[in-house]
Amino acid sequence: MSPCGNCLIFVFFVINICAFVNCDEGTSLDSGDQVRPDSPGLPRVPSSLLADSFVPLSLMSSFPEDLEISNYCLELLSIFSQRYSDYVKCLVPAARPVRVCMKCYSGYGSLLNAYMNISSDQMGPGNESCRDSLMRSDRLMLVYVLFSNMQDLWEKSNCDFCITEKFQGVNNETTHFMKNLNQTLSCFEKYQQGNHTELCKNCKSSYKGLNELYSSMEKTLCIDVEDAMNMTRILWSKNFNCSMPRGETVPVIAVSSFMLFLPIIFYLSSFLHSEQKKRKLIHPKRMKSYSSLMNIQDKRS
Amino acid sequence: MSNITKKVSWSSRGDELGPVGEGTPLLNGSEQPRHSRQFSEGGSLFQIDRLSTVDLEEEISAEEESARGQPKEIPHNEKLLSLKYESLDYDNSENQLFLEEERRMSFTGFRCLEISRWLICGLIGLLTGLIACFIDIVVEKLAGYKYEAIKQNIERFTEVGGLSISLILWAVLNFSFVMVGSILVAFFEPVAAGSGIPQIKCYLNGVKIPRVVRLKTLVIKVCGVICSVVGGLAVGKEGPMIHSGAVVAAGVSQGRSTTLKKDLMIFEYFRRDTEKRDFVSAGAAAGVSAAFGAPVGGVLFSLEEGASFWNQMLTWRIFFASMISTFTLNFFLSIYHNNTGDLSNPGLINFGRFESENLNYNLYEIPLFIAMGAIGGALGALFNFLNYWLTIFRIRYVHRPCLQVMEAMLVAAVTATVSFTMIYFSNDCQPLDSEHAEEYPLQLFCADGEYNSMATAFFNTPERSVRSLFHNQPGTYNPLTLGLFTITYFFLACWTYGLAVSAGVFIPSLLIGAAWGRLCGIWLASLASAGSIWADPGKYALIGAAAQLGGIVRMTLSLTVILVEATGNVTYGLPIMLVLLTAKIVGDYFQEGLYDIHIKLQSVPFLHWEAPATSHWLTTREVMSSPVTCLNRIEKVGTIVDVLSNTSTNHNGFPVVVQVSENDEPAKLCGLILRSQLIVLLKHKVFVELAGSRLTRRKLQLKDFRDAYPRFPPIQSIHVSQDERECLMDLTEFMNPTPYTVTQETSLPRVFKLFRALGLRHLVVIDDTNRVVGLVTRKDLARYHLGKHGLEELHLAQT
Repeated sequence: MSPCGNCLIFVFFVINICAFVNCDEGTSLDSGDQVRPDSPGLPRVPSSLLADSFVPLSLMSSFPEDLEISNYCLELLSIFSQRYSDYVKCLVPAARPVRVCMKCYSGYGSLLNAYMNISSDQMGPGNESCRDSLMRSDRLMLVYVLFSNMQDLWEKSNCDFCITEKFQGVNNETTHFMKNLNQTLSCFEKYQQGNHTELCKNCKSSYKGLNELYSSMEKTLCIDVEDAMNMTRILWSKNFNCSMPRGETVPVIAVSSFMLFLPIIFYLSSFLHSEQKKRKLIHPKRMKSYSSLMNIQDKRS
Repeated sequence: MSNITKKVSWSSRGDELGPVGEGTPLLNGSEQPRHSRQFSEGGSLFQIDRLSTVDLEEEISAEEESARGQPKEIPHNEKLLSLKYESLDYDNSENQLFLEEERRMSFTGFRCLEISRWLICGLIGLLTGLIACFIDIVVEKLAGYKYEAIKQNIERFTEVGGLSISLILWAVLNFSFVMVGSILVAFFEPVAAGSGIPQIKCYLNGVKIPRVVRLKTLVIKVCGVICSVVGGLAVGKEGPMIHSGAVVAAGVSQGRSTTLKKDLMIFEYFRRDTEKRDFVSAGAAAGVSAAFGAPVGGVLFSLEEGASFWNQMLTWRIFFASMISTFTLNFFLSIYHNNTGDLSNPGLINFGRFESENLNYNLYEIPLFIAMGAIGGALGALFNFLNYWLTIFRIRYVHRPCLQVMEAMLVAAVTATVSFTMIYFSNDCQPLDSEHAEEYPLQLFCADGEYNSMATAFFNTPERSVRSLFHNQPGTYNPLTLGLFTITYFFLACWTYGLAVSAGVFIPSLLIGAAWGRLCGIWLASLASAGSIWADPGKYALIGAAAQLGGIVRMTLSLTVILVEATGNVTYGLPIMLVLLTAKIVGDYFQEGLYDIHIKLQSVPFLHWEAPATSHWLTTREVMSSPVTCLNRIEKVGTIVDVLSNTSTNHNGFPVVVQVSENDEPAKLCGLILRSQLIVLLKHKVFVELAGSRLTRRKLQLKDFRDAYPRFPPIQSIHVSQDERECLMDLTEFMNPTPYTVTQETSLPRVFKLFRALGLRHLVVIDDTNRVVGLVTRKDLARYHLGKHGLEELHLAQT
């Protein structure tokens, strides 16, 4: 290879390294910006980096024009942050009893909306895409991770099954179920005082109706419905003790002991009445002149 | 009878032996029954001990003499050899016809043979896979209907009362399915009973079990196994798959079905025992691989059971058949489950994947695994011991088909009853879980939204129960449930094996083992400090299952590979191997493996790997049958017909001798001819006198012998007129001119090795001048075995 070629390659190499370093510094800076907008100017750089690197501080405080994050993107980010915290604020109180779908669906809808704005590859003003600068510039990918946590939560709770499309509201099936549930619960409340047998008798029809409605609903249900039903069932069977008693032990025992008795009869009778299978022994032919060498003992034990 | 030890010498009865020439080569000289002598009774044994030779001439008791008149009868026991089993002709008869055919065959002819071998192996794999698929789907459907019906019934009656009716419904459903299966087996094809593995083992060993590889057996096996699994017995469908694969192989390789009277005129070259055996081992491998999704395990199974006859090309072909079989099953099941092309359904029994983090094992767990192996071995020995006595009882007293059907029906009803009672009285309720959706959750008296945990074990097909024991998360079963389940299922499975239904013992063993293994896991986890999850119950369930299965069947190499392949996790190789090793050592200390016990109880002359250890002092002279029925090279037709139709001496091989000089000097050996060959010769009337007219007719070819194979007509069906009896037959062309021979001084282990390695059927014993003095057959060798009192000899018996 010619020396000139070598030179060229070296130059490219240096340029690349510079670009790489710059890029890294830049992103660490602006992520610092996002987190604490009230302390501008002094980016939090790990002390080790400061000590080890020979990069002058002045270089880090100012960025090349094209790496600076635009106001448009910062705005998108702050909208996302607002909606995110709103949604989480809604979620936490809805944890028990679980109402995460029915109470917070609109919050999720707007969060999703904000995230879509950031992640779309649509160009904003100034012909820039916020997706790259906000989401893909660092290894932490905070926006993405935060959102995907929420998305997981939403999917795990199967909320799509009780919310109408585009997060308009709770769908009819779920509303119907909730109405029934409230009936049952109010029935429980009415008879809660005093004897539970009364409750078991009077609320049975509405409880059974609810149970049937539940099992007739789709296979996958959102967590709200599932949890509500579980709680009602626990109330019904554990707290009020209304499940089936083990009533008829005697007939079951009778029938099974009869069945278990049959083989004994069978084996006894076949032992006594069936003729035992005998085998006819056959005598092998052996050479006579040598067989005297052998001594056959009839072992009787 | 008296308690004294009687000593009898065989020399004293020499006078009643017939003259030389009427001997009994194959059957160890079954003389006319009335000549049979009473030696001993009550299942007592001969003990042979050369050192304590006593002069015995005068010790023959009068009682023995008087008893000589009638044949001796004893109850069935394991120390017998049955006359109904014959050897297969694995040794090729190199007669002139054979040489001629070989000369005629071109190079391409041999290439075509090789290709058709591969083709047949592919077909075997394909058909076996399809059969496995069929069984799987039908069982799933029928069991689904059954459990659905019972479940609805139970749900209805839980509320209004009357659960005893559900119990009766369950019992009746089981009862009727098993009745169908058992009637099929008991009345139409008794050889289809059980798992079929002992029978295939015998076949690969070289014993011809009558009707074991017929189409009818296959049909009944398949229907029978469906009925017994759907009937809720404690059985699996894996063992019968091996038998089915073997039958498919035997059928496909012949290119025709004698039962259906259809001959496709292909694969005629393979109509010999030697070729058929190779294909049967491929079929057995394909069966294993379809049953467990374990192609390598299948190959190793074939090698382990029939290993004396294999070579590298054959192994490769067997592997091909296994692979095809498992992927055929795979493919068709994926179509059935509506995801065509997904090839992750490899076996009938699917252990599921063992891949989660806490399923790894650590060094300190190895001693625990070994201890579990020892438990498995001990439990397996107990299982075999109980089953041994049960089987003896069955052979002695429950031998009529209608009794057998009744027994099977009773077992089915009791199984249902016990299961129901267990579920009914169980208080173990677990919340329903959407991830591990139970197929048929039973609520019964549990709170709403929960199911009865005992029901997942009992109210399910055994395969599913195994899988849920392996994979349900910790806490699904409580220890009491598992303990009760283990005990009940142990006795049920033990009681079930050996009934007149076709069913395997693999799955029940796995299930018992998985249950107590999981119990061990739970116990260990409770010992460990809270928070540590090294003792995952699923892992211990797997180890327990391996230990129990190893303790019952005592297979080693192939079982390890089968289990490793079925779990799909190679890292389990070491623990599974150690467990199987321990289980075998511990189990063998008490009792033999289940299959060996059943082979023994069926009085099969099975040749093990080695001759009994202390038998070197026995020479051929003492082992062989003598005198021998010989034929002259040019023999009168009348003599041949008489020899063949002698019912008391049902011999199959006859040494051919030639008179060297005119005087009385005994004749010298010049070949060996088989009964089947003689029958074909008689049928085609290959007589010397007709030779002139035969010029116009076609010359007899090897094809004529093959066409008659494997069901040669009995001698009674061949008519030989009075004139023809005077004709002569020249056997030179048809006999095997170079049969294997040994001298009289050869030791038993040496003869044994010849038999085992070459797959011989007859071994001629000659003296120094090439005169025939005796004949050794399989039954002469198989009767010696090492017992508690040294070398023991088995009796020959008519069964």
